[in-house]
This record gives sequence, C-alpha cells and structure tokens, in this order.
Amino acid sequence: MEEFLSANQLYIVLGVVLLIWAGIVSYLFRLDKKLTKLEKLMNKG
Amino acid sequence: MFGKTSTTIFKYGSVSLISVVLVAGLAIPMTVSPQSWLEFPVIPGLEEKARNLFFHVPMSWTAVLAFFFSAVYGIRYLRTKNIDFDVVSVSSAGLGLLFSILATVTGALWAKFNWGAFWNWDPRQTSIFILLLIYGAYFALRSAIDSEEKRAGLSAVYTILAGLTVPFLVFIMPRMMAGLHPGAQGDASGKGPLFEANMIAPNMRMLFYVSLIGFSLLFLWLLHLRVRAGRLEFQQKQGER
Repeated sequence: MEEFLSANQLYIVLGVVLLIWAGIVSYLFRLDKKLTKLEKLMNKG
Repeated sequence: MFGKTSTTIFKYGSVSLISVVLVAGLAIPMTVSPQSWLEFPVIPGLEEKARNLFFHVPMSWTAVLAFFFSAVYGIRYLRTKNIDFDVVSVSSAGLGLLFSILATVTGALWAKFNWGAFWNWDPRQTSIFILLLIYGAYFALRSAIDSEEKRAGLSAVYTILAGLTVPFLVFIMPRMMAGLHPGAQGDASGKGPLFEANMIAPNMRMLFYVSLIGFSLLFLWLLHLRVRAGRLEFQQKQGER
C-alpha cells in the first residue's frame, strides 16, 4: 500500500479530497439534524 | 418547501454522485490514444487541466440554477405576498452568489496556468464579474430596507430583472465574442479557445453530466437547509414582537 502510494501520488491527493468531502458532508448531515430538532422545539412552544 | 422523499434524494444523490465524480474525475488516467472507457484522451494544450470540466463548470451551472430559482420565487412572492417565498428567493440568491464566486476563483486559478494570468478580462471573466456586481447589489439593496414587506417586494422585482440578465451573461455574450474561454469565438487572426465542445470524449461528457446532476442536487439540499434556517429566524422574530 505504502509503496503503491509513493509511486502513484495522485491517489494521496484523491484521499485528501475525499476526506475533506466526507467532513463537509457529515457537517451538513449534522446541520440537517440540528434544524429538525429546532423546528420541533419552535413548533411545540 | 420540499417533501421528505425529495430531500432524501437530494442528500444521498448528491453525496454519491459527487463522490463518484471526485474519484473518477481525478483518478481516471489520461492517455494519447484511449483504449477503454477508463481512459480519458489528452487534449493538447489542456492535458490534466481538462479535468477542470468536472469541477469548475458545474459551479457556474449551479449558480445559474440558483439565480433561476431566486427569480421564480420572486414571481411567486409578488403573486401571493407570502413572505415564505421571499425566504426561498433570498436563500437561493445567496447560494447563487456563493457558486458564482467559486466559479470565478476556480476559473482564475485555471486561467493562470492556461492563459498566463489569473485575470485578463476575457469575455467570460467580464460577464461573471458583472453578474457578481448585480447580485452583490441585490444584497446591498436588501440590507438597506427595514420593512419586511417592502424589502420582500423590492427584492422580488430586482431578482426577476437580475434573473433575466443571467442567460445573456452566462450563455450568450461569452459565446458571441472572441475570447480564450472554451465556447468563445476565435478572433480574426485565428487565436481562440484551445478546444471545442465536440472535442470532449463521450466518457468525459458522461462524467460531466453526472457532475452537473450531483452539484444540482447538492444545491437543492443546501437550499432546503438554508430555507429552514431562514424560516426559524423569521418565526423567532415574529415571536419577539
């Protein structure tokens, strides 16, 4: 694996890009959940 | 605004399609004479920079979509005076501005290595600059008006007029003039864009469409989130009165 990555460095960048994308997506999912919670709270009171 | 099924499609559709585009768009190798579907042809002068097609162009497309939504909800507001449509309209215009800025910045980075300078007033760059000014002015207009109804009415009219300029600035003007951006006309001395749309290989074109759909779905998800936050803000303000 390490040898493969040192020979094909593009895949390291691809890993970086995918990690960033995963971070942004999980943030958006959490934001979505938070909004749902707030909506429930507002519509109760 | 959107039902549960549609938002599920937006979420999982955008995440999976954009992931596919990121992996395929970056990892599929480029060769001079492609032998299979998993190889992209080299476009002389563009080489690896051609991959920008999958990432930069969808930004611009998504911005157009967002400005279109903003204008449509501007019309709906004027017809019904329902303040909720104003929330959708302004949220969409904000996302349109975000994606326009991304298109401008990613385009400038590409231009540096393709044309030699980050900014050189290519017709495409000039037109998006005007677009940024138009929608920047929209938010300046909104921030200057305190009355909610007045603000919603004026900005609805503004966003409809602004929406009318979008097709000219994005699809028509840069294609009519001599310029370096793909799609532009060459000038009299034969200088022009490095490649034409028909030089895009079928597999690249397919991935490009996947990217357009993926980023459109991402826009709809972001719009849905932004609108819900806007509604909560509005409810909160109503409660304070």
